[in-house]
Amino acid sequence: MNLSDFVVAEAILPDLQSTSKEDAIRKMVDSLGKTGAIQPEDQESIVSHILKREELGSTGIGNGVAVPHTKHPSVDRLVATIAIARDGVDFASLDGELVFILFLLVSPPDRPGDHLRALEGISRHLRNQNFCSFLRQSKSSDAIVDLLDEADNDQL
Amino acid sequence: MSSSSVCSRDVVVALENGLHMSPSAQIVQTAQRFDCDVRIHKGDKTVDGKSMLDILTLAAQHGTTLTLEASGEGAQEAVDALEKLFVTNFATE
Amino acid sequence: MEIKRGIAVSPGVVPGPALVLGTEDFRIPRRFVSVDAVEIELTRFRTALDSVCGEIAENERLASERLGAQYGAIFTAHLNLARDPKLRDEIEVLIREKTYAPEFASSRVLRRYAKFIQNLGDHYMAERAVDIFDLEKRLLRHLLGEQREELSHITEPVLVLAHNLTPSETASLDPDYVLGFATEVGGHTSHTAILAGALEIPAVVGIGPFLSDVSGGETIIIDGNHGEVIIDPDESTLKRYHDTQVRIKTANEKLEQLGRLESKTADGVSIKLYGNIEFPEEVDHCIQRGAEGVGLYRTEFLYLKDDREPSEEDHFDAYRRVVDPIPDLPVVIRTLDLGAEKFPHSLEELAEVSPNPVLGLRSVRFTLRNLGLFKTQLRAILRAATYGDIRVMFPLVSSMLELRQAKMILSDVMEDLEEEGIPFRRDIQVGMMVEVPSAALLADRFAPEVDFFSIGTNDLIQYTLAVDRANPTVADLYNCADPSILKLIRMVVAAARKHDTPVVVCGQMSGDPTYTAALIGMGIRELSATPFSLPVIKQVVRELTIPQAEEIAAHTECLDVARDVENYLRGELKKILPEILD
Repeated sequence: MNLSDFVVAEAILPDLQSTSKEDAIRKMVDSLGKTGAIQPEDQESIVSHILKREELGSTGIGNGVAVPHTKHPSVDRLVATIAIARDGVDFASLDGELVFILFLLVSPPDRPGDHLRALEGISRHLRNQNFCSFLRQSKSSDAIVDLLDEADNDQL
Repeated sequence: MSSSSVCSRDVVVALENGLHMSPSAQIVQTAQRFDCDVRIHKGDKTVDGKSMLDILTLAAQHGTTLTLEASGEGAQEAVDALEKLFVTNFATE
Repeated sequence: MEIKRGIAVSPGVVPGPALVLGTEDFRIPRRFVSVDAVEIELTRFRTALDSVCGEIAENERLASERLGAQYGAIFTAHLNLARDPKLRDEIEVLIREKTYAPEFASSRVLRRYAKFIQNLGDHYMAERAVDIFDLEKRLLRHLLGEQREELSHITEPVLVLAHNLTPSETASLDPDYVLGFATEVGGHTSHTAILAGALEIPAVVGIGPFLSDVSGGETIIIDGNHGEVIIDPDESTLKRYHDTQVRIKTANEKLEQLGRLESKTADGVSIKLYGNIEFPEEVDHCIQRGAEGVGLYRTEFLYLKDDREPSEEDHFDAYRRVVDPIPDLPVVIRTLDLGAEKFPHSLEELAEVSPNPVLGLRSVRFTLRNLGLFKTQLRAILRAATYGDIRVMFPLVSSMLELRQAKMILSDVMEDLEEEGIPFRRDIQVGMMVEVPSAALLADRFAPEVDFFSIGTNDLIQYTLAVDRANPTVADLYNCADPSILKLIRMVVAAARKHDTPVVVCGQMSGDPTYTAALIGMGIRELSATPFSLPVIKQVVRELTIPQAEEIAAHTECLDVARDVENYLRGELKKILPEILD
């Protein structure tokens, strides 16, 4: 599964200004809402689902990366967005460090396979140091979209 | 049994891979056409010319000299027929 | 009588009838027939041989017609083998005069020829032995006919001999009827070795070609203490081995009595001993030997058993069977630790073809790339953990990212279970294997993020010394006593101590009494080993004081070479436990 298949390009936030975990998640969900990928009336419920998942264990998996995610019945396909936080967000990460790259993922509950493949794909790319550092240096949505394409085509 | 005779002749294995499966089978088939006993000697080792397994255990390689020996009725003909196999190089190569 | 030597991988001695696993899994059911039945058996043999000849003749005809005369000639040769009067005579003599069963007699005679041809020293001819084995197979197929027994239906105890046991072969064997193993290839870490250790039956591997000397059905002895297989032993040898068997049994019983005693050093420091297991049934072994829990439950066999991936219920049932008898003792379940070299059929599709599988997609790397499979196992572990003190452990962790990803998936699974309202253990302890040098070197970073470490010495040695123990040309370079290994263990212990993270040592080193004193001296307080070795380890523990152990460990630091360390530790062990059996 390619990243560009489920990352909603218009919802990418290349310069997220956020101080808290909840605020960061809220802004990313909001951005997805603006593109129509999710419905405005579902936003609050999606945010609370994601926060509930974070309570079980942070998705801040170190190296400045977090992958907040949840399943939600309101979506009929996998949708995701990316945010770059230049100043970092305190995400209660497993390593205790700030988070600079955020992948937010919402998937339909009846398609667990897609959800897993997306997570597999994201974690595979996040192991690539080039991908992470280029991502952090990206200044615009377009640059990030290009980077995703390159990652999908194994050009990094 | 009529006038029993003994007949023997030396032959050389010209086959590149020695006396392997297929030529051994031809020897056995030829020998079995005759009533006489057929023996094949390689140095001091002797095997039954009508036994495929026996012939395989000879491991007669390229260039080996073998002695064909038959005794009993039709011994002469048997040795002739067997010799022909060696002379024509088993009509293979 | 013939003696074959190989590598001893699981102790004990056992005599019994041989069962040879060939490519077609034929087994020769019996060796002798009754005198009255000889004529019937001769007829049975002749009928079978005639059928074989008919079958080959038919093949000859088909091949000549369809492919041309030169292909038919291959079968002509086979036909001449099958019709060889000498072959028929020799087999009939064995049946008539020795009352051998036709299967056994045929196999005997044909294998003798095959072996003779193999040993002629002519490479081209040696390959012809294959044709003779082929004839043997055809003949056996006709003789055994419908009676051909499946491996899984062995009904009497046997010693299993094979070129190499495949996981699916071993998984289909009924352990109740397998008394021992001997294989032509393999080393200490081979599948056979691990399985034999788990079943506590004698095993010898890496013997080299010997199967052509055995037909199956005859008596052999497997000596897992000295790495020997004795074919057709004479009376006095058999008697000697029976005596040895009794002596070993008595010694083991004595050691098992130790199970009831506390595992404490002579100066009163408690050393926790756990069992390593592969099958739920082995929990009994652990309890008998006085283990304080299961320190390593290898779950690979769940994946090897059938041709399908195990379901969540398969996992759950197995875990319940482990934890139910010991609800108050810890049980550490290690998640799937398969490497590309031993993927079962059910997972073959997911495996990558790697020129270097040990450095490839194996273990936790594999499960992180196959999250569906990983989650299934984690769900079962979390659910079963409500029934006792189950802990989860990730194998082959080589970077922090891997550990964190694995932990993230564990949290995902918890979320799923919570949503579904299925009971699970939220505060499950999470540990990792330290078996890659990178993990040992970064132990101080890993320590705060896990509840426990388990040092897996087998892989740690392999990766640190760059030695594949299964490769006989370098196997001598594999050594637990290498100063680099001891240094890495010291580093892990020091890092763990800073963060109060418990450290267990599992792997073969922890089951070898030679290293017990050194490990304790380096600060290890928990050992997990095959249940079989626990009594002797406990014996060493009880004779030892901590200062004495520390002195021994300190002395090893002055030594540069594995051999010196090993010799020194062996010497110390003799002082601690003079009566120890070699």
